[in-house]
Amino acid sequence: MKFIVSSSYLLKQLQVLGGIINSNNTLPILDNFLFDLDGNSLTVSASDLETTISSKLDVESSEKGKVCIPARLLLDTLKTFPEQPLTFTIEDNNTVEISSNHGKYALAYADGEEFPTPVELNDPSATIIQGDILATAIAKTIFASGNDDLRPVMSGVFFQFSTESLTFVATDAHKLVKYTRADVQASQTAEFIMPKKPLNLLKSILAGSEEDVTIEYNESNAKFMFENTEMVCRLIDGKYPNYEAVIPKENPNKLSIERNQFLNSVRRVSIFSNKTTHQIRLKIAGAELNISAEDIDYSNKAEERLTCDYQGDDMQIGFNSRFLTEMLNNLTSDEVSLEMSLPNRAGILTPVDGLDEGEQVTMLVMPVMLNS
Amino acid sequence: METVPIRKIIHVDMDAFYASVEQLDNPELRGKAIAVGGSSKRGVVSAASYEARKFGVRSAMSGAMARRLCPELIFVKTNFDRYREFSEKIRNIFFEYTDLVEPLSLDEAYLDVTENKKGNPSATLIAEEIRNKIKEKTGLNASAGISINKFIAKVASDINKPNGQKTVPPEDVIEFLENLDVKKFYGVGKVTKEKMYRHGIYTGKDLKGKSLEYLSEHFGKSGAYYYHVVRGIHNSTVKPSRTRKSLAAERTFSENISSELFMMERLEDIAEEVERRLAKSKVAGKTITLKIKYSDFTLQTRSKTLPFYTATKSLIVNTVKDLLYQEPMKESVRLLGISLSNLNNESKKKIKPSVPIEVQLKLDF
Repeated sequence: MKFIVSSSYLLKQLQVLGGIINSNNTLPILDNFLFDLDGNSLTVSASDLETTISSKLDVESSEKGKVCIPARLLLDTLKTFPEQPLTFTIEDNNTVEISSNHGKYALAYADGEEFPTPVELNDPSATIIQGDILATAIAKTIFASGNDDLRPVMSGVFFQFSTESLTFVATDAHKLVKYTRADVQASQTAEFIMPKKPLNLLKSILAGSEEDVTIEYNESNAKFMFENTEMVCRLIDGKYPNYEAVIPKENPNKLSIERNQFLNSVRRVSIFSNKTTHQIRLKIAGAELNISAEDIDYSNKAEERLTCDYQGDDMQIGFNSRFLTEMLNNLTSDEVSLEMSLPNRAGILTPVDGLDEGEQVTMLVMPVMLNS
Repeated sequence: METVPIRKIIHVDMDAFYASVEQLDNPELRGKAIAVGGSSKRGVVSAASYEARKFGVRSAMSGAMARRLCPELIFVKTNFDRYREFSEKIRNIFFEYTDLVEPLSLDEAYLDVTENKKGNPSATLIAEEIRNKIKEKTGLNASAGISINKFIAKVASDINKPNGQKTVPPEDVIEFLENLDVKKFYGVGKVTKEKMYRHGIYTGKDLKGKSLEYLSEHFGKSGAYYYHVVRGIHNSTVKPSRTRKSLAAERTFSENISSELFMMERLEDIAEEVERRLAKSKVAGKTITLKIKYSDFTLQTRSKTLPFYTATKSLIVNTVKDLLYQEPMKESVRLLGISLSNLNNESKKKIKPSVPIEVQLKLDF
């Protein structure tokens, strides 16, 4: 088995796939890339058992074969080459030889049959979505998902497809993001929970891509297909919490403010907040928003005043500044609106402008109860 | 980002406990104004039925005074054995939910159900279940208060009394305390109430307005207590009643023994049992006591206090040996026992420092 491939082309593909490989695998075979050659088409795969991702590359060859090549070693080597053709030759003595313009390198390989085969999806449903839209949906939501091993469902992003729109939800019970696209639809309703790791990979691959992504899914797995790449992953098993029920309906107190200004103030003031609670206090009266924080342990204190547009009763509410910062940072609008009802009910943060047609973002943040 | 894990404390308080037990046992007393105790010349009322309370009869009131307020009041003799029996039944219901039960008296107790045997996350529902079970098993009514610490739970149990319960969830704690009349604060009696009123402190909110220094100056040690509880800080843990004072094991022999050598053999077995129990209770003791009961039933104890805590058999045996040979036996021996006291489980365990509550609220999934 022998093939010739461009070094930078191969490196680019392998770097993407390499994102799925765990740094310490219990199963040594997973430290490898699977090279599956079929004439001019080379399929390279990487897997962590939960997720398997593979890409098809065009190479120069007329042979067939399947080998596993150590990922780390190969990536480290490829990175050092300037663009040039590389010849891979699988020798009989269990080594693969790479010849470059500079010389020869031999790596031990493992039998290609040892590599785990990805799951076949039985009887899947399918939805098509533009790569960039999917990447945005992931980027808007994934930061809000949790890390609690006791509630595994909340460690992923909830995909909720219907014939009217696609909705993506993430929450860790302190904050929640719901991202809806009414300009994309599915052929039938479907719901599944995607784990974070493959989503992060998809986010980086698909950012800015105008290619269509086909998503196939059934009860237990989802498959993402685009360009030459296929990713199959196991879904998180379980029932997603009824998030609609926790979004407050009546929010008489509405604050509108310039996002960047708000974000910068929160950032500055939060430096003075308590190091464990990160609590900052918003005091809103008339058209003035007062942001303050205090760390009693160190006698640190800060206060800023901003003008804002406010309709509602004067109120005081406490938030974890980290949540607010993350959320404000994740939005891109010039202006945001924060709707509240009571100091112990969730605040609803939404962008006022800058949305695409059919795009909708709703962010929820639970307050920290103020103690005085 | 929680600073302190929020506790779930229930305060269960039986409604007119002694009086209700009497009414349960004597149907002819039901629906009547009765007072338990206080019939003798200098006696005071231990408990009054709700019918009697309407007339202003209160516990700790002198019998004569009670009779004046309510001439048809029926006095009943106290029967503590019977109350204890009921109390035991009720406590067993508590233990179905948690081992962290701190009885305040026969008729009230604190329960920490933060982690409970039923795995029920709702303290409110647990309280309801407990009250229903008490009613079912004893026929008595109970009230309950549910909140994040003992202080608030205790105050809350009074709110929907009789036969009701009140939950003060973490997010309402501050407001609840602010609106509370200071006389309702646990620990504020008649005298302190007057004093607070004189200082212009009528509600929790007024109390909160005073500095720690101010309160300490005027109310002494309790000042700090008031300062903290009004901020929702009361870290006192629910202490199961059995904070052991000592731990012992003993054996009565089928035949009296007169040889110290044989006694030592038996004492080794006993020491082993003591060691096992110490390990189970996770305590160690400083004072080792040897108990000797002679064939004439006279009792003798000999003890020695070590400079350190011990929970190991070999050390106990050595000490007991010294004690045994300390002086000759008066008679043959029918019983030997070893006990360890001066245990390392009291007051030495540090209570968590008081941290103000700043509660990160969660979405209600």
